[in-house]
Amino acid sequence: MIIDWYTIIFQIINFLVIVFLLRRFLYGPIIKAMDDREQKIVEREETAVSSKEKAEQEAEEYRRKSDELEEQQEEILDKAAQEAEEEKKELLDKARSEVEETRKRWVEALEREKESFVAELRRRIGAQACSIARRCLEDLADARLEELIWKLFLQKLAKLPAGEAEELQKALQAEDGKAELVSAFKTPDGQIEELKKSLTEALPGLEEEPAVKAKTDQSLVCGIELQAGGYRVAWNIDSYLEDLEDELLRDLEQAKPADPGEEVPGSDE
Amino acid sequence: MTINPDELIIFQLGWFKINATILFTWFVMIFLALGSWLVTRKLSSEGPLSRWQNLLEVLVNGIKGQIREVSRQDPGPYLPFVGTLFIFIAVSNILAIVPGYIPPTSSLSTTAALAICVFIAVPVFGIANQGILDYLRQYLQPTFFMLPFNIIGELSRTLALAVRLYGNMMSGTIIVAILLTITPLIFPVVMQALGLLTGLIQAYIFAILAMVYIASANQAHQEIAKKGER
Repeated sequence: MIIDWYTIIFQIINFLVIVFLLRRFLYGPIIKAMDDREQKIVEREETAVSSKEKAEQEAEEYRRKSDELEEQQEEILDKAAQEAEEEKKELLDKARSEVEETRKRWVEALEREKESFVAELRRRIGAQACSIARRCLEDLADARLEELIWKLFLQKLAKLPAGEAEELQKALQAEDGKAELVSAFKTPDGQIEELKKSLTEALPGLEEEPAVKAKTDQSLVCGIELQAGGYRVAWNIDSYLEDLEDELLRDLEQAKPADPGEEVPGSDE
Repeated sequence: MTINPDELIIFQLGWFKINATILFTWFVMIFLALGSWLVTRKLSSEGPLSRWQNLLEVLVNGIKGQIREVSRQDPGPYLPFVGTLFIFIAVSNILAIVPGYIPPTSSLSTTAALAICVFIAVPVFGIANQGILDYLRQYLQPTFFMLPFNIIGELSRTLALAVRLYGNMMSGTIIVAILLTITPLIFPVVMQALGLLTGLIQAYIFAILAMVYIASANQAHQEIAKKGER
């Protein structure tokens, strides 16, 4: 007999038992383990996704911050550049005005120096001219220059115009006849007497003889001056020297270099 | 030489007897239960898996995938039944390489027992899924007159299932036995290797057919339900 019903029933029971056993020991635990793992993987993925999102958010935040910082930096740089430009302009203006002032001061100093030089030149030329004239007169005319000047002075006094003579007389009277004779040389007493005499001759309205006091002043260079109160009669080489000075000044003015800061408009046409 | 292991009585006490089929079935059962228990008592759900756990997971997952493909349904409820069919038959057949072992599947009693289990499982799953009335109504499809043919079809496929497995396993055993008498060396080894392949294929076919029968009973119902929805 191929089919043994006893065995069949036994095998059915065996099969049901093995189904139960495998369900208990194989499928249940294995599927549970796989599901657990899947669950954990899903959880891990979710965590990864959330942390990725978080990281992206943070990255975004940092990007934004760095953008802001850059913007701020740019602003600061712009401001600094602007300030530097202003500072530069200010400094340039200041430097320009300082240069201008220095130049002005220098020009003034130059002017002063020129003037003092001219004055000195005048003084020296006067002194030199006097000494040259004196020596020439001594050598050629056998007469002292002082004497010639004296004579010239007396002549001038004698030929004093009427109006001026009157004024001199008034001045003398206001000073009680006191007058002062200023000369570059020493005046001998005889000459004072001579002056008194010519004064009384020139001023007939004078009631008494004037009292003349002699005084030496080297700054007059070469000349004589009679002072009475506010009035003065004089002869000196100043007028010649002034002519000379004028001429010299003109020459110097022409020789003066053109001012670089003051260009003539249209000069480059 | 004994061809039918049912007739090889190991132990008998009155009507109670233990033949080779039952003995080796027990052997396979203990092997499976103990192996599963040893592996699954220390499962890890994360980190590196042990090799045995990995093997069992691949096996269970593969069976699940096959069930899902055949039935187009959630494999959960069918897994213990269909999976056990496959594992039991496969292990019974593979152990044939052990000398002195007689596969229980080479006994028609065993294959008939398994076929009867499928025969019972089809209505059980069908009724569990769709209720007894809906299930019984299937036998009247498409008309009332088809009822005898439906019942015959149900019975004949159970018979075919049993005989197919029996025939294949029996033939393997018989061929090896015959060849041993003709060419005792080398050639039987090749045949035995072929027998291993056949054994696995038969296990697969048996499980898949069982699944197809169960699924077809449910699918008919599902199609009706879908039509009703439309």
